[in-house]
Amino acid sequence: MLNALITSLFAGLLQLDNVQVGQCLLSRPAFAGPLLGWLNGCPLEGARIGLLTELIYMDFIPIGGVVPPNGLVAAATAVLVRTWAGLPESLAFFIGIFAGFLYSDVEYRLRAARSRWNAKIEAEVTAGVINIERWLAGSLLMESSVTGAYIFVFSALVFIPTVFIRLSGLYTAMDFAYSLMPWLGLSGLYFRFRTQVYKK
Amino acid sequence: MSDEVKNKNSLPSPLTSRPSPLLSMFLRSFFIQAGWNYERLQNLGFVFSLMPALRRIYADAPRGVHGSPEPDVVQGAPPRRMVGQAAPEAFKSAVLRHLTVFNTQPYMTGFVIGNVAKMEEGLALRLRSGQAGRENSEVLEKNMQGIKQALASSFASIGDRVFWGRLKPLTTQLCIVVWLGAGFYGWLFTGAMSEVPVAVLFAGPGLGMAVYGAFAVYLRWVGLKKGYACGGGGNCGLDAMDWRKLIRRLSLAGFSLSLIIALAAFALLIEFNRGLVPAGDLALKIGLVLSVLAVHRLARKFGRSIFFAIGLILAASIVLFSVLKLPGFDIG
Repeated sequence: MLNALITSLFAGLLQLDNVQVGQCLLSRPAFAGPLLGWLNGCPLEGARIGLLTELIYMDFIPIGGVVPPNGLVAAATAVLVRTWAGLPESLAFFIGIFAGFLYSDVEYRLRAARSRWNAKIEAEVTAGVINIERWLAGSLLMESSVTGAYIFVFSALVFIPTVFIRLSGLYTAMDFAYSLMPWLGLSGLYFRFRTQVYKK
Repeated sequence: MSDEVKNKNSLPSPLTSRPSPLLSMFLRSFFIQAGWNYERLQNLGFVFSLMPALRRIYADAPRGVHGSPEPDVVQGAPPRRMVGQAAPEAFKSAVLRHLTVFNTQPYMTGFVIGNVAKMEEGLALRLRSGQAGRENSEVLEKNMQGIKQALASSFASIGDRVFWGRLKPLTTQLCIVVWLGAGFYGWLFTGAMSEVPVAVLFAGPGLGMAVYGAFAVYLRWVGLKKGYACGGGGNCGLDAMDWRKLIRRLSLAGFSLSLIIALAAFALLIEFNRGLVPAGDLALKIGLVLSVLAVHRLARKFGRSIFFAIGLILAASIVLFSVLKLPGFDIG
């Protein structure tokens, strides 16, 4: 549990790179996957989950106000579900994909909540209090902690039922579907560039 | 030379005089998306990035919290015109001016920040030298906002195509190429458990990140300098590179790599199964892979996302293996 907590906090920090600071690709699943996997003693599975998540999520581009599914959350949740709940990598991957998809709604709400800050900041500036840094620090803290908490809670919500419910009936099906995912990802990669090259 | 130009030339350029705030602005530009909100998008990050320039331009501007409002400032009142006024009132007006809607591609933001800093500098010089009347300053401010928004849109369009559309997927391809080169095929054959050094696992994404990061940092810095150098122009910085050619080349590189990776994947699939599984099983595996490509193609054709294809694959898998209880089977 302590490892899960540390992993969630670390993932929350990495999430800052996703939107708020830098965008140096530290939060890309292909990097975060092996990193978080390594922290949890499964770098190989982490790498595989990370790359496949990245290939799948490549279909979505963060243009303007669009909030795409979150690859970091997906990879981190999958790694935690794999190690903490002890589920097979295949099932963990699909649970991670679902977690990343749902997180886009959380991110949307965070962005919407920050809209209310504008009027307050303007009032402060008008009154002579200019401290944008404080608001930005609050934004970073909020984003990081919400992401970390989301990953931890989501993984726990998967972990607790698995103590009582046997999911082994799904394992074979999940392994089969998972073995097709690299090909689905590669086709996404191909179509992405094919459209660009053949675009008039 | 007109009096105006003489006067302008006689004043030192605040942002290029040492210590220059350009480095601080560059570092702060990494936070351009901090505080992203739906009402005004990147406005908070933009003001944060521009702050060192504004502080320098309006030299006696406050730093950090400045909790003593001027006696004649009314809470919530619109900012006063700054004709003939010294900072911090002019500084506050400048900050409020840039708290409006702003959005561009984060790596291209330097072009806009540099440009706006230069325009702010010009406006401040005119105000200080008394050359700008109230109406004139309003026109200058409007002009500044217009150029800022126009540049932000243009660079957003270029940046989205260069970075999100091409360079980012290219880094994923580089990762796959490194892993293929180092003999890590586990990403393709999910059932295989090969021993791979951790360094290889990090080298894959690391190479792409290094290339991508270097170009992104270069553009942030060059954009800031170019934007400042040609500030005030509606097309300032747009000629910094031959974007069209760059985009075309990146597309071709990406497409070529996609083909190479796809061919390599099929070659590996055949090589790893030849002689180990019956020919019928190999044919079934290749058929399944082609079916996946067809499902994805159809999903795209009907405007469905990749999740639709994943849903179909999951549903079919559960029916086949969990309901009909077929024996286990996977591609790798």
